[in-house]
Amino acid sequence: MNAPLQNPSDILVVDDVVVRFDTPEGAVTAVDHVSFGVRQGEFLSVIGPSGCGKSTLFNVIGGLLGHTSGTANVAGETINGPHPSIGMVFQEESTFPWRNVTDNVAFPLELIGMPKAQRIERARHFISLVGLDGFENRYPNELSGGMRQRVSLARTLASEPKILLMDEPFAALDEQTRLLLGDKVLQIQQQLKQTTLLITHNITEAVQMSDRILVMTYRPGKVKRIVDIDLPRPRTSDIVGSEAFGRYVAQIWADLREEASRGMRDEEKTMMGAKS
Amino acid sequence: MADTSRVTLPAPAPMVSQVTMLRVAIILTVLAVWEFLSRSGWLYRDVVPSLLAIGRALIDLLTHGDYYFNLAVTAGEVGAALAIGGSLGLIVGIALGANRFLSKAFESYLYYLGPTPKIIFFPIMIMWFGVGPGSKIALGTLSCFFPVALSAAAGMRQIDKTLIKVGRSFRATTMQMVFKIYLPAMRHPIINGVRLGLGVALIGTLLAETKLSNKGIGFLIIQAYSIFDMPRMYAMLIILFILSIGANSLVGHFGGLDNIKRS
Repeated sequence: MNAPLQNPSDILVVDDVVVRFDTPEGAVTAVDHVSFGVRQGEFLSVIGPSGCGKSTLFNVIGGLLGHTSGTANVAGETINGPHPSIGMVFQEESTFPWRNVTDNVAFPLELIGMPKAQRIERARHFISLVGLDGFENRYPNELSGGMRQRVSLARTLASEPKILLMDEPFAALDEQTRLLLGDKVLQIQQQLKQTTLLITHNITEAVQMSDRILVMTYRPGKVKRIVDIDLPRPRTSDIVGSEAFGRYVAQIWADLREEASRGMRDEEKTMMGAKS
Repeated sequence: MADTSRVTLPAPAPMVSQVTMLRVAIILTVLAVWEFLSRSGWLYRDVVPSLLAIGRALIDLLTHGDYYFNLAVTAGEVGAALAIGGSLGLIVGIALGANRFLSKAFESYLYYLGPTPKIIFFPIMIMWFGVGPGSKIALGTLSCFFPVALSAAAGMRQIDKTLIKVGRSFRATTMQMVFKIYLPAMRHPIINGVRLGLGVALIGTLLAETKLSNKGIGFLIIQAYSIFDMPRMYAMLIILFILSIGANSLVGHFGGLDNIKRS
């Protein structure tokens, strides 16, 4: 195992976090002694096969789920509930269908009691940042899936989190939309110098966007390796064609393959068990 | 958007007029059959009075202040029943929908009591609240409570879990969760519940008025019946019919299909 890659200056520190669930079949360890740090301004991706506990980790860091042991700190404060420094973007559809784009994006500002004129102005700024100018008064059902996900992103950015925490935000979108949205996220991240933690199972996406990639093992989810992605910035999806990109993808896949096939064998075993 | 509107917009226009024509035809047929029966002499004249007699009774009714006073009494009773029963139902429904334990413990009672005819409680209501509007409001409230509570509980459970997570991740307070997420997210089941609630509140109140009362529309109807003034009774039924349609479409309008996005 790698030594925990942590630094006192890290903005997010996950230290020896364990998450165990009680199920009818006994205790399941979803996250097993995971430690890592996220540096100010960096883009870190957590990648792993399904069932590696990465979504559990997302919920723990987001403060929506408690953990069994270990600590998670953001900007020096312990996470024991949703923290104002962390802004979450969910994989599932999460816009409010009864609010138009502006009111969706202004939602977090409304919660903290910002005056109406001011929050609308702020919302407009972030709507324009995600490239949705002209759609301010539309309702989610009048937008495409990719546009709705951009609304969610703008809404989270509007709360000006220190860390943007995203759980497979593009998983439900088609490949082209996903790549283009990836570009948009990269551009915004560079513009805002936004510290970002992305949870994903998509290698291309991870390599395209990240400064570092944390590879997780199949159940129980541990840190397998942290890979530095030394590709030039600013990046766009053009980088997908470069030779260095291909090498990183191959390297990550080599790590992941072992875990993914272990997961697959495990699944098959469970299926066989269920059948007999 | 442009494509679909081009294809679907022209279509509804002839459809609507066809439906309207059919409706008008049905009403005209009923009126014609009615008038025929009234003139045929097959039935007692007073059971099926002529349209002219009913029309005269209608005008007579609408030109006397007495009727409006009783209408206001009934409307006030139904309104109060809807307000009290509706808000209680909403609160109870949300509590049941939010809490699995409470729902397991109490919700089956609601399902059993919901369809019970509430009029059987009327004697108790008279003892508690008197012969006046109090007992009618109580019965209307009782009728209205159940559909609203059950729809609110079901609506609460149907709320998209992700939206709740979004609210929590932005650290919304409980009040903010209720007013900015739960209630708007369950607006359709609630509107439906209120619609059903209005219907049964109306039934409960009127039924109570016909049983024992000294004012209100139900009282007038039963009074007309007891002196066998059939044209007057039919005239009141017609007005009542039109009023309930109006009230129902009003509730629908406030949160119905045309308001999906904004409500």
